[in-house]
Amino acid sequence: MKHSTRRSFLGSSSTILALPFLESLGFSRFSKAADLPVPAKRMVFLSVGWGVTRETWFPDKKQTGTDYDLPKGLAPLSKYKEDITVIQNLQHRFSNEAHWGSTFWLTGANRYGVPGQSFHNTVSADQVAAEHLGRETRFTSIQLNGKKAEGHGPGLSLAWNQQGKPVPGLDTPVELYHRLFSDETTPMEQRQAMLKQKRSVLDTVLEDARSVQKGLTSTDKDKLNEYFQSIREIEVRLAKEEEWLEVPKRLPQTPVKEPAAGLKGYEEIKMMYDLMIAAMQVDSSRVFTYRMPTDSLISSLGATISSHNMSHYTSGERQEVSEMRDQSHAKLLAHFIGKLKSSREADGSSLYDNTAVTFGSNINSIHHLNNCPTLLTGGGAGIRHGRHLVMDDPKTPLCNLWLSLLNGSGINVESHGDSTGKIDQLFA
Amino acid sequence: MLLFVMYRNFAMWSQLLRFCLFSNFFLSGFVSAKDQVHHGQMPEAHFAVLEKYCLDCHDASTEKGGVNLEDLSFKMDHIASAELWQKVLNVTNSGEMPPEDKKQITDAEKTDFLADLSNQLVVARKALSDTGGVITMRRLNRREYENTIESLLGVKIKAEDLPDDSNSGGFDTTGSALFFSSDQFEQYLKIAERALDKAITFGPRPETIVKRIELETYAEPRIRKMADAHLKVFERAEAWRNSGGKLPTEFGFIDEDRIDFEVSQYERNYPTFLAYLNHPDSKTGMPLYNFFRGCTGPVVTLPSKHETGNYKIRARIAVLNDSVPEHRKYIEYGSITTGSKPGVINVEGFRKIRGTMEDPEVIELDYSPGDSGNFSFMIREKHINQAEATKRFFIQSLAKTNLGPPPSLWVDWVEWEGPFYEDWPSQAHKQLFVRKQKKQELADYHQRVIENFAKRAFRTKEPAPAFLEKLNKVYHDEINYGKKPIEALKKALSIILASPGFLYLNEPVFQKDHRKLSDRELAVRLSYFLWSGPPDAELLKSAKSGDLKNDSELQKQTARMLRDERADEFIAAFTHQWLHMERLDFFQFNYLKYPQFDESTKESARREVYETIKASILEGRPIRELLKSDHLVINNLLADYYGIEGVEGEAYRRVKVPPGLPRGGLPGMAAVMAMGSDGERSSPVERGAWILRSLLNDAPPPAPANVPQLSRLDGKQLSAREMQKAHQEEPQCAQCHRKIDPLGFGLENFDAVGLWRTAEVFQLSKAEQRKAKQSGKPTNLKIPIDASGTMPDGSEFSDFFELRDRIAERDEAFARGFVENLIEYALGRPFGFSDYDLADHLMEQARAKDYAMSEFIFGVVLSKRFKLK
Repeated sequence: MKHSTRRSFLGSSSTILALPFLESLGFSRFSKAADLPVPAKRMVFLSVGWGVTRETWFPDKKQTGTDYDLPKGLAPLSKYKEDITVIQNLQHRFSNEAHWGSTFWLTGANRYGVPGQSFHNTVSADQVAAEHLGRETRFTSIQLNGKKAEGHGPGLSLAWNQQGKPVPGLDTPVELYHRLFSDETTPMEQRQAMLKQKRSVLDTVLEDARSVQKGLTSTDKDKLNEYFQSIREIEVRLAKEEEWLEVPKRLPQTPVKEPAAGLKGYEEIKMMYDLMIAAMQVDSSRVFTYRMPTDSLISSLGATISSHNMSHYTSGERQEVSEMRDQSHAKLLAHFIGKLKSSREADGSSLYDNTAVTFGSNINSIHHLNNCPTLLTGGGAGIRHGRHLVMDDPKTPLCNLWLSLLNGSGINVESHGDSTGKIDQLFA
Repeated sequence: MLLFVMYRNFAMWSQLLRFCLFSNFFLSGFVSAKDQVHHGQMPEAHFAVLEKYCLDCHDASTEKGGVNLEDLSFKMDHIASAELWQKVLNVTNSGEMPPEDKKQITDAEKTDFLADLSNQLVVARKALSDTGGVITMRRLNRREYENTIESLLGVKIKAEDLPDDSNSGGFDTTGSALFFSSDQFEQYLKIAERALDKAITFGPRPETIVKRIELETYAEPRIRKMADAHLKVFERAEAWRNSGGKLPTEFGFIDEDRIDFEVSQYERNYPTFLAYLNHPDSKTGMPLYNFFRGCTGPVVTLPSKHETGNYKIRARIAVLNDSVPEHRKYIEYGSITTGSKPGVINVEGFRKIRGTMEDPEVIELDYSPGDSGNFSFMIREKHINQAEATKRFFIQSLAKTNLGPPPSLWVDWVEWEGPFYEDWPSQAHKQLFVRKQKKQELADYHQRVIENFAKRAFRTKEPAPAFLEKLNKVYHDEINYGKKPIEALKKALSIILASPGFLYLNEPVFQKDHRKLSDRELAVRLSYFLWSGPPDAELLKSAKSGDLKNDSELQKQTARMLRDERADEFIAAFTHQWLHMERLDFFQFNYLKYPQFDESTKESARREVYETIKASILEGRPIRELLKSDHLVINNLLADYYGIEGVEGEAYRRVKVPPGLPRGGLPGMAAVMAMGSDGERSSPVERGAWILRSLLNDAPPPAPANVPQLSRLDGKQLSAREMQKAHQEEPQCAQCHRKIDPLGFGLENFDAVGLWRTAEVFQLSKAEQRKAKQSGKPTNLKIPIDASGTMPDGSEFSDFFELRDRIAERDEAFARGFVENLIEYALGRPFGFSDYDLADHLMEQARAKDYAMSEFIFGVVLSKRFKLK
């Protein structure tokens, strides 16, 4: 059983890592069989640029609770209607950028929140989660991107670090595959030497950074801090790499093949989903974000217009493309849910039971930023699914959802972004 | 902060005070002179709107929803007040407020209220994010990084894995928006190692070889093979058909569907293959046919080694006959991938062919394979660079003639010669490997190489000894791990190229707010401004000698640098960002509607803008000529595109505009018009907004969020005029569109790709087409263009030419917009209120020279601010 081996390894190698170990033990008291390892909590955030087709994606606001009709845009999810929740009336109060579907989606920050700066962001929910859920895994979190970020706004992925700076992501399924499963063929001794060399590279550039730092203005020092911070991140990653050096990368039971190069659009997203599942199966990371491509998706569906053009739909071709995009996403999501459900954990539960998935965007559709489209699935955060929820307050902070999901996944932060409290209805 | 608290305290008196005094006047005693001048300010008159429609629920005592508009300052000088005004704008835009059951704001009131509010919010945002003149230390952006590596190592690299840096909203030189990530660090190391591998060239100079390919021996067998394959399958299908009901499997087919498919393939392709083989000129060369699967032409594979070398590609080409139209006399060339994803074409240039079958011409192309991996060199007829388009054109032709499109060009042979090197070992190699002293140990020598390179990479700044020591340690460690000395050296050198001293343009001030730049720093700032790259030896020499301190020398260097071809980088990058030319790449142009607007045409059109501005700068022409001119700066392709005769050759040059032709100046350039479209239709809104933003320096506020879309327009074909009427219906739209749309109408004579038209043609919907056919009416709708309209100040124009005159009259506004952008680009930070003085000063200086762009460039460089950290 991988968990016990992982823990014993980590427990022996580092004291910092003892905490999650104990936490997990605490949890396990409530599990059915105390000696079975408790499956880990996982979080997945999936964002679509440009939002959705509002006319056909949202369920009728009058039908709430369990008895509601899935609209056309979500129809491919009908098989899993019991396993999803659509929640309406969430929004970010500071969002004014009509083309930025992802920049503030997981942060809720105020772009102009700091005087003298024309852009400001804060930590994203996934990175808050990663700090807790990422301690025991090879990769603290995994960020995925479509190569072009149309409709998502500035950023390198959905993730923003503790300093509110963009976190880079992997652009292709091939890169993700290699990150997850490529096995090092280099002998151990040489790999240790390489790690050591990497450290002395960092050490060397830090030496230069320190001399550059001398005499800089405070603004310039802040700028250079991004450099220091990046080097520190690599150091942390190297430390982790070292801990994991002797643990070979595991392959999932159903083997995954290296994806073909150049997958685009529908097939690309599907492959990313499959690889995320495989990563969860071998527990190489527990926090995933994916900033999904739209141009390549719709062109793979046969559209000849750009996604930006599509997003300004009126009834006719552009709306048809927009709806087709929604349905494809629903189909892909159904595929993802199916795989989550059929992947067994050690205790007999499924990946689905232990993962909290959010699908959505900061943009509702066109230039609308209210009622951010939000679809939840997975049992990781303890949400009672199968319902359509419409919040009473049409401006309920989207950050209340992030807080609820974080808390529900065992991360006891008190607030996130501009949250005002948890959304109790989700759990009732 | 203090001010804010005070203001809140006495704000409760404000309603009373408002009737006696204007709050900004009253407040002026409390604020510093700087704050007083620049902030968003809602005109007090709009208090009437708040009072009439909002205060019932949102006054100081009711504060419904926690919103108190009574005490809201009309001066947006704090984030809090700006936020609340933003909220007011948002709910008014979305129609959420006033609530449905309450009294509604009249359209006229709402339009004016929203117009002022959205514009003032832009001012407020700008004021509140003003850096107060601080220039944030700048990381080399991607372009600068590529150029700097090229200058150091002589290797052209494509750093595509680095972030593109041009999406931050401002210029890519804005230090505060140039972030750094751990991922990037690793990329820098990787790219540096790759570049060093190429730059270091030991061994003998590779031999230059010539290889010629006679194309009849190259092309004919390939096409015959395909033709034969089709024929054989077809014959098998025929055999099955005549077999009297035997199973398809007996003839090698899975089923009858497969047979149908193969036969259809045969019918589509075979006749054109046969036509090729029967073409008399296929016996002596290669007629450039376009087949269903692609446009053919010779593909030349160069040896994979020595990628840094240059090659000459020659081809003997002719136009097949007299009936070939001008626009089909072009070949284009570039690379075609051969690796795991073969067939992707990257067009790099074109040539117009004048040779005839009696007298073919030999063209010679320079080609440098450069850094990237697996590809070959290709030549073909100029064509839309989309496989889909090739297929559609083939099928269109098939419907008419049973054959694919007839060829227009013929190639006799192709040859390549290379590789050529300017120097061997390369200049970069020689610079890297300084002279070795006699009896010097290799390790000591390498240490010197490292030191020398570090200093060059740091733009002559001495690297810290501790840093050099650590580099040396890395070098020795590598050797201890069993690496060859040269590999250890590369490792150490690559680290230098990922260090802050190289990656950042750092200007320490040592506890002062501002200080004068050192001569070296000034040289660096100047070269990254005008070349997007490091200073050359001459500029460094001028800095070192102290000459650069003198304005006359600084001016001389600036003039020299502008004439250098490296300044093309500044002109292209600055222009691209200043005029928002990224829109040219936003959309794919509909190739069925606009078959002429292919890759080469688009790139030529893009370059027309750059070349026109370059010529204007180098010749010191009045800036007005960019708005209206009797000259164009074009090449042969654009001359054909615009319908101008007698322009031969690919070089850009000044050409007189023939009388009556609607060209000359930015309005009317194909690239500008194409930017103002979505690839299908012209967009008067985009074009109008562009004129306001880029030409009249009067940018409209950003597209607002949550404005209800005009759903009654769904699916209707509307002329530009009808669209405008719709925009005037709702105050939320009218507030901006009343200003934007009329300007766009003035350009409606240009279609989506900038060609002149007199009517807009709409395809009717399918149902309407059916109806029209039954009653014998045309299936499309022609609406004549009416290009009359008004300028924002109410002056009128009746057509494009008058619109252009109106714009050209406002050359001062254009110049002001230019100089503000130039200051922002040059200083690497948003143009702020603290720069107004400089902009005013430069305007005044340049007025006598009709605002020549060169005057502004010199003015910025010579300004105090440019010489200050």
